[in-house]
Amino acid sequence: MNEKILVIGAVASGTKAAAKIKRENPEAQITVITKDEHISYAGCGLPYYIGGVIEEQKELVVKTPEDFKLITDIDVHVKHEAVKIDTQEKKVEAKNLSTGEIKIYYYDKLVIATGASPFIPPVEGRELEGVFSVRTVNDALQIRQLVDQGKIKKAVVVGGGFIGLEVAENLHDRNIQVSLVELVNHILPPFDEEIALYAQNYMQEQGVNIYTGEKVLSMKGQDGKVQKVITDKREIDADLVIMSVGVRPNTRLAEEIGIELGVTRAIKVNEYMETNMKDIYAVGDCAENVNLITSQPAWYPMGSTANKMGRVAGINMTNEDKDGLKGVLGTTIVKLFKLNAGKTGLSERDAIKAGYELETVLVPANDKAHYYPGYREIITKLIADKKTHKVLGAQVVGEGVVDKPVDIIATAITFGARVEDLEKLDLAYAPPFSMAMASTILAANVLRNKLTGRVQGINPVELKERLKELQIVDVRDEGSFLIGTIPGAVNIPGGELTKRAGELVKNKETVLVCKIGKNAYLSYLKLKKSGFENVRILEGGINAYPYEKE
Amino acid sequence: MAEINLNCKGLQCPGPIMQVFKAAKEAQSGDIINIKVSDRGFAKDIQAWCKKTGNELLELTDTENEIKARILKK
Repeated sequence: MNEKILVIGAVASGTKAAAKIKRENPEAQITVITKDEHISYAGCGLPYYIGGVIEEQKELVVKTPEDFKLITDIDVHVKHEAVKIDTQEKKVEAKNLSTGEIKIYYYDKLVIATGASPFIPPVEGRELEGVFSVRTVNDALQIRQLVDQGKIKKAVVVGGGFIGLEVAENLHDRNIQVSLVELVNHILPPFDEEIALYAQNYMQEQGVNIYTGEKVLSMKGQDGKVQKVITDKREIDADLVIMSVGVRPNTRLAEEIGIELGVTRAIKVNEYMETNMKDIYAVGDCAENVNLITSQPAWYPMGSTANKMGRVAGINMTNEDKDGLKGVLGTTIVKLFKLNAGKTGLSERDAIKAGYELETVLVPANDKAHYYPGYREIITKLIADKKTHKVLGAQVVGEGVVDKPVDIIATAITFGARVEDLEKLDLAYAPPFSMAMASTILAANVLRNKLTGRVQGINPVELKERLKELQIVDVRDEGSFLIGTIPGAVNIPGGELTKRAGELVKNKETVLVCKIGKNAYLSYLKLKKSGFENVRILEGGINAYPYEKE
Repeated sequence: MAEINLNCKGLQCPGPIMQVFKAAKEAQSGDIINIKVSDRGFAKDIQAWCKKTGNELLELTDTENEIKARILKK
């Protein structure tokens, strides 16, 4: 079957689809066109190239067009921008960006893999020299060159998402003074506040200035070069500005021929990656996903998802037996200096928006046995449906191993696990790898205690908002209390609580605080026994409390 | 002047600060407390503790696997 297949776009999903089609049907005539001069590159690696962690440009490029042709026998035409699709005649007009010439490509089946582009807010000064986004190899090359030349002393990163934070870290490592401005009230917008603030405090301790809840109004420069970023609250000196406020799906080509977009404004596809137009597929960042938990449309422009979409499209374009991608969880992970933060499924905010009645828990634990050298604390936030006890999502943050618990929970959610199922997982254990009760199991245990009413907890976000109304008791030792506690807390060490319960107001709403939550739970049982009715423990303890202490 | 050596590795909750606090209570002015710890939060905690209590932090070494502090009791 000498079917003619044209793929528009050649980063992750486009090249993946092309390669899969070729493996399934070696007779297929496949052509890939891209406006970029690089193909199949690791877009997610660009921040590390800027920082010099990845030394050379060629390391970023997974395959050159020549290699790709040699291995797969697929023609890749770089610097060819598709400008128009004609569904009547099944052809695509593309412009050769070197010569300006228009070339026609005929297809039997078409794959749109046009990706996403950085969204640059329409602020004054965005055209100044020294203002960049970080999306293509060329962006990274230019930034790296300026940094290597020692021309950059102060940088401002606009946007506290993954790319912005990774670039901030890498610039900081190159001895550049970095400030980051984020519009919403914390970095890592997809994460819940308490986890995001934990990471934010950590970034600040590393020396990155972070300004949240702040809007960039304009950029000012001299002789065409950027010098200052002006926000609604301050002016920040900058000889480099990185705009990383987010990306938008590239859908123009598709829209022009009446391909339907979804509610997320990305191209709507079914589980087979088919658009509403016959013989036209869409994959990667330009296409919409389905959230596996809510079954609602979602958009996760991630390399991990893009590759799966490319493969599924490739299978369906060449086989009678279809393969489907039912949905994804939006699982993500980021490294910020030595801190790792990962997320899968719904955040608390997402879950509330989706109409769930939910229960959450925040549980610090270790990634290895606490007596094994080099263990690190990790904090797990677990979110479950109150009625069915089904796990809806998790966020894990800490210097330790975070990808394992995130992947365990992602797998569990995929198979419809309940909190009770997580508790019983038989996970690999020896001291260098895990605690005997792994962090995920511990979190599930505590969540079940909450779901069954054995303990009442309060999340740090709620505690911070209600500090003044609550009777807060720090049950740690005097020395720890001295260093820092929740504002307004009194100190009664757990061991003395039963004896000294008379010092507290019995009918006042009381919150017990310890280091990680465990001793507070023991104290909770004591106070309950002493007749206190309205008691809760601070989830995650002092260690996971990201706000000001006194 | 006595030197007091504390090995608080593996200790988490109650944490090593409680041990330092106890040792400092019993120590004489001019004594040295050496402590090694695996709890990562200790590096920040011991600095804050010395500031609050007026004891002097002579040395703080933070390696991959342990944190060591040398404290002069005032």
